[in-house]
Amino acid sequence: MGPPVLDRWGAMSRSLAEDVLARAKHSPDEPALLFGGAGDRVVTYAELVATANRIGAQLADRYPDLRRPLALQSAKSPAAIATVLACMHAGRPLLLASTEIGRGLLADLVERSGCQAVLGIADEGLTHGPGAADPHAAPVLPPDTSLLLTTSGSTGTPKLVPLGAHGIDAFVSWAGSAFALGTGTRVLNFAPLNFDLTLLDIWATLRHGGCVIPVDHDRYVDPRRLLGLLASTRPHVVQAVPMFFRLLTEAGDGSAFPEVRELLLTGDHVPRSVRAGLSRLFPAARMHNVYGCTETNDSMIHTFGAAEAADRDVLPLGSPLPGVLAEVLLADGEVLRGAGTGELVVSTPFQTSGYLGETGAKDRFTVRGGRTWYRTGDVVTRSAVGELALVGRTDSQVKVRGVRINLEEIEQVLQAHEGVTEAAVVAVPHPVSGRALHAFVRPSDDAVTGLRLRSYCAAKVNRAAIPAAFHLMTDPLPIGPTGKVSRRLLLEKIE
Amino acid sequence: MTIQRDITAHIVAEYLPGTPASELDPSYDLLETGVISSLDLLRFIEWLGDRYDIPFADLEISPDDFRSVAAIEKAVQRFAGVTAPE
Repeated sequence: MGPPVLDRWGAMSRSLAEDVLARAKHSPDEPALLFGGAGDRVVTYAELVATANRIGAQLADRYPDLRRPLALQSAKSPAAIATVLACMHAGRPLLLASTEIGRGLLADLVERSGCQAVLGIADEGLTHGPGAADPHAAPVLPPDTSLLLTTSGSTGTPKLVPLGAHGIDAFVSWAGSAFALGTGTRVLNFAPLNFDLTLLDIWATLRHGGCVIPVDHDRYVDPRRLLGLLASTRPHVVQAVPMFFRLLTEAGDGSAFPEVRELLLTGDHVPRSVRAGLSRLFPAARMHNVYGCTETNDSMIHTFGAAEAADRDVLPLGSPLPGVLAEVLLADGEVLRGAGTGELVVSTPFQTSGYLGETGAKDRFTVRGGRTWYRTGDVVTRSAVGELALVGRTDSQVKVRGVRINLEEIEQVLQAHEGVTEAAVVAVPHPVSGRALHAFVRPSDDAVTGLRLRSYCAAKVNRAAIPAAFHLMTDPLPIGPTGKVSRRLLLEKIE
Repeated sequence: MTIQRDITAHIVAEYLPGTPASELDPSYDLLETGVISSLDLLRFIEWLGDRYDIPFADLEISPDDFRSVAAIEKAVQRFAGVTAPE
């Protein structure tokens, strides 16, 4: 790789949004967004900024209070991205809400964060949904808050993660130099707008004058279409979760994308079988295993080539990003020195100052040696040569299709159903989604069916958290030695 | 009626093992409730295309076409007889 491309305004820039706005003056005709598919649609920096200015003016008019957040729930579109930009520019905190959550969950997030309204996009214009009933009941946001993201909580209680403008700026600066983002760089964005991954593939790209290729992944369920999109848009940088790479390598129609020079694998383990196919698809790409979470943003990176992709069973987490500290804590809270296994804790320049209004989750953030550390909940091992590798979650959290899900929270939802006596949820490995959830439910009522429970769950939890299978039981659920329902015994019931 | 019965039988067998076919209402939202996840959808569309000889990969389709048994039946009727462009 050549020297990092420094962006012309980088040294003087005050914020991400101002850099993007400056592009509209200095290189108005450069493409900012490229929507692939039938009749590729390009949005230039001039057009993107004009839309952001128009939306910003409407927001200023209608919501003069800049301290209380707005929410945006939208699929990807030029107006949706322009809305985020407008809010960043105005210094207006914006909650990015998943389009996969139902009305009840959304209302809860809006209430807890004191949002003034929920913005949506229709026909490239804004729609306005109701805000918090009692906006003053919500906690005051940290003063620097730019975006409010949510943890991928599986049930009614995703945590709110305020991210400060300074942390975001520091992160996009790192990403810009690490992956040589600049004018003419095309970056594929696969994650939805509300994912932290967009800080890299959308916002670092725009900050450095590149062109984002947003993929509406609902529209790209077919890997052959994804391959077609890659062929027509020819990105240089691709960041995605393991599922994306699995779909592409399995479709394997012989096509290759030599323009891709940086490939970022993130979100979970990418199995060796998938990695082995990547160098055929992306023969010129450097590959990176990127580790991070919503609370801290990217923390560690391991860069590897084709041989390592095909040969290694588990990729290491790699080195901490500049300014990031990573340590391993033992069960007694002592810091692990040398080889061993424990929980990964990190402290990053990009991290949140803490969950909004979560008194119960304070132990995730601890102050030690003058820095705030985040307990990731991920168990890691450190080898004799000092390499860290991911083992799994410390608690009953699992990932389904890249979404972090707590089994106990889904159990609580099921147990709250009036026709249910008891319920337990287990996760079994699944070749495509990572894990498949099985619910074991003992109903108290003949009217309870698997399909009815499914509809009930769909109204309460993220779609990835809806169990793939419902097993209706007539006998009590099996109990383990601690007197609790035994997930191990339930797992034995699944062939 | 046979298309509907055929599709219902397949969905129940593949995605809802143990569920009686009569329980699955033709209007039941298969996508919202995760009966067919976004990952399953691909596999399902492949099956449907093979079964009814419809080249879905070359057609403008949307997830709404597969939202319920009733919607799938409509999609099959709409696209039946379409052949892949050469």
